[in-house]
Amino acid sequence: MKWKATLLMAILVFAVVASGCIGGTQETKTETTKVTLTGDFNKDVIEIGKILEKNGITEVKFSAWGSGDPNSVMRVYGIVDTAYKINRIWKQNGINVKITVTTKYDQSFKDQYQEFLSKQPLGQAGDFFVNSYAFLPTLAEEGYILDITNYAKAYQNVINDFYPNLLEAAKYKGKLYGLPQDTEARPLYVRKDVAECAGLDVTTLPEKVKAGEFTWSDVYYWAKKAKEKGCAEWGLIHRKGSAHPDLIQFIFAFNGKLYDPKTGKLVLDVPAVYKWLYVEWKFAQDGLLPKDIMSWDWAKQIHPTIVEGKTLFDIGGTWYWTEWQTKQYYHGRPLTPEEVKKWFAYTLFPAGEKGDKPVTLSQPFIWMINSKAGQLNPKYEELKDVYHALAFLMIIKASDPEINAIHSVISAHLPVRKEAAKLIKDENWLNKLKNLDLDLAPEVKDNIKDIVEKTVNPINAQFLADVSYMLEYTHLAPAHPKYPALADIFKEAVDKVLRGEMTPEEAVKFIEEKIKADKELADNVEIVGEIPKDWKFPQG
Amino acid sequence: MKDVETRPRKYEGILILAIFLATLPLLIGFSLLIISSFSKDMVTNFNFKSFHPTLENWINVFRGKLAITGGVRVNMIRIVLNTLIVALGVSGLVTLVSVMSGYALSRMDFKGRKWMIVSLMLLHAFPGVALIVGVYLLYRISFPQGQDWVRLYSFIYVIFARAALEVPMSVWLMKGFFDTIPWEFEWSGIIDGASRITVWRKIMLPLIKPGILAVALFSFLAGWQDIIYVRTFLIDQTLATFIEANIEAEYTHMPLIAAAGTLYLLPTIIFFLTAQQILLRGYSGGIKG
Repeated sequence: MKWKATLLMAILVFAVVASGCIGGTQETKTETTKVTLTGDFNKDVIEIGKILEKNGITEVKFSAWGSGDPNSVMRVYGIVDTAYKINRIWKQNGINVKITVTTKYDQSFKDQYQEFLSKQPLGQAGDFFVNSYAFLPTLAEEGYILDITNYAKAYQNVINDFYPNLLEAAKYKGKLYGLPQDTEARPLYVRKDVAECAGLDVTTLPEKVKAGEFTWSDVYYWAKKAKEKGCAEWGLIHRKGSAHPDLIQFIFAFNGKLYDPKTGKLVLDVPAVYKWLYVEWKFAQDGLLPKDIMSWDWAKQIHPTIVEGKTLFDIGGTWYWTEWQTKQYYHGRPLTPEEVKKWFAYTLFPAGEKGDKPVTLSQPFIWMINSKAGQLNPKYEELKDVYHALAFLMIIKASDPEINAIHSVISAHLPVRKEAAKLIKDENWLNKLKNLDLDLAPEVKDNIKDIVEKTVNPINAQFLADVSYMLEYTHLAPAHPKYPALADIFKEAVDKVLRGEMTPEEAVKFIEEKIKADKELADNVEIVGEIPKDWKFPQG
Repeated sequence: MKDVETRPRKYEGILILAIFLATLPLLIGFSLLIISSFSKDMVTNFNFKSFHPTLENWINVFRGKLAITGGVRVNMIRIVLNTLIVALGVSGLVTLVSVMSGYALSRMDFKGRKWMIVSLMLLHAFPGVALIVGVYLLYRISFPQGQDWVRLYSFIYVIFARAALEVPMSVWLMKGFFDTIPWEFEWSGIIDGASRITVWRKIMLPLIKPGILAVALFSFLAGWQDIIYVRTFLIDQTLATFIEANIEAEYTHMPLIAAAGTLYLLPTIIFFLTAQQILLRGYSGGIKG
């Protein structure tokens, strides 16, 4: 038996040694493997190209993962275009290296995040990953995305051009983990013809809302009037679904909060949540909001009800503006830009009551870099820093005002850079975009051609310019791992008050009990305040 | 004389009606899916007013377009091909392993045979989800470093991992088929000088063709329909992961997904329409084991 054990040990030792040898390559001389960014894009790109060339690299393979609605494809094509431009710089400077980018675009951003989570440790996830800021803390905590704080120091001039609150969404524990790619606002849309029928003047409405003079009590008043006068079937339509940030705007509008930065915990702000649920309950009980809206179909009920003018108000997103122009929601056809402009006015989400402030809510998407970016390229271990610096330069270039402005116009998201916001107001530039007379990769031009045809026009650009101010009022849903669970409970409570199964008081108790029943959630949520006594809605 | 138990004909109508009613929800669901794939709007709630016939969804699916307007195009042929590779790989591997081990378990006596037969059922009871952590760990350990092999390896790994889930049941079924064949067939071969392998290949396999086909088809469908393993391990997309990643009801053009869903259902429909008789024969053999 002893010889068997010895043999087994010998095989084991051999296997260990052999496994070390398998895949081992003949040692080649490695040149410089570090790069220091200067802030001059061309210079840095050339420097990196030279380092790669000296190390025998002729091709750098990257993959870009993006997700979202079908018009938001610049989330991956921004990277493709960047590769095209870097390749051109290298070619012009006689550097024999090129970047090839493969793309993966899914419509479900949550599914893609799950896929990234499972494939990142295996080195199979995208090198570039654009997704909601809400996932950034988890990815940063796990070490799945690259800390770009040091790289960014050289490009401070670019970084400074981003809107500061959006840049904050790309940070975790004070470090920068990505660059904002886009954002949006969630306006309150007002159907102009219904408003006219009810006697509501929409021309002064945005200013009144901004000043906090037009509150949710006024929304209720006009919604009721529109219904009673037979101007519309409904007073208000809103979005649905779990964890949707649209409805939690009510919490902020009633001066509540959802997150306590001091403790790092979520907050159940009882007075604000009670007022939110009361508004929902009142609207539904009085027949101004469908009791079963949380189970309505997006394409067959929610959007057609809005575009066919069956409601006075609608809580939506900026992207609705172009979505209505590209999807057949209006009697089996899309709306024309002229129709959208003619029929819809838009304002901030009004303040809950006098003394509160109007709000909007954003869910910025962030360009993140996989912490293993470039892993599938030759000499990765030696050249890791070079590949990472190159990836950083690529998201810097993909954040060019032009790319950002194209994305904004064709997908009706808001620009994240001040320079991009200026571009979308420039009529000459818009005309160039309309004719695709811009310096873009041929592949990108080819793939966005029909989206551009449908969406690029002065009306849409004006809309984006008009709503950009809303970013000053923006709130972010907490980027907390337990927030989706809390949002699910909110959704359930909203559904119950709308259907009349619970009063607002009962629904608040229901939320508290559900939180307490889940130990992990209970540990992560602070319950503050009490149900206000003698609170009335509508007021004034 | 009939080889099955017969029942009085007066109850036949009631039985057929009961079976029809029981399967009605499924039939309705699949029918609405197929109808919607040929319509501009989804046909739901029996509202046939929303049926506006078009072939646009199918054309867009084959062109790999995710939306009516623009978007990133995916290579649908490649996705279908990936699905086929996984399904055929699982089917081939499961069939090969089960016809060999089914024969061994049926005909040969060896140490641990009884224990192995019992544990086959136990293994089948483990759902794939429960095993995924272990399988994931194994994947991480065995993962090749060289970039050239990563994509190929992910296919091989998915095929092996998914096949491993199908093997216990398939071996059990194949053992049943081999058990039904009289020993005399085998003895006559051996007496004529054939080896066990020759007997297995030339005498036994032709006799259990329906069983082999049943196992091959079921394991093909298992590979075709798998979502958890392909999503976790496969670098490329299959039809299942493509559909999953693109159902975002808010902005997805659902009739297009209905077309992709119908495409995904096709092998199952074709299989059940063409292989019913073979399956019935296959199962009668398997149960006797």
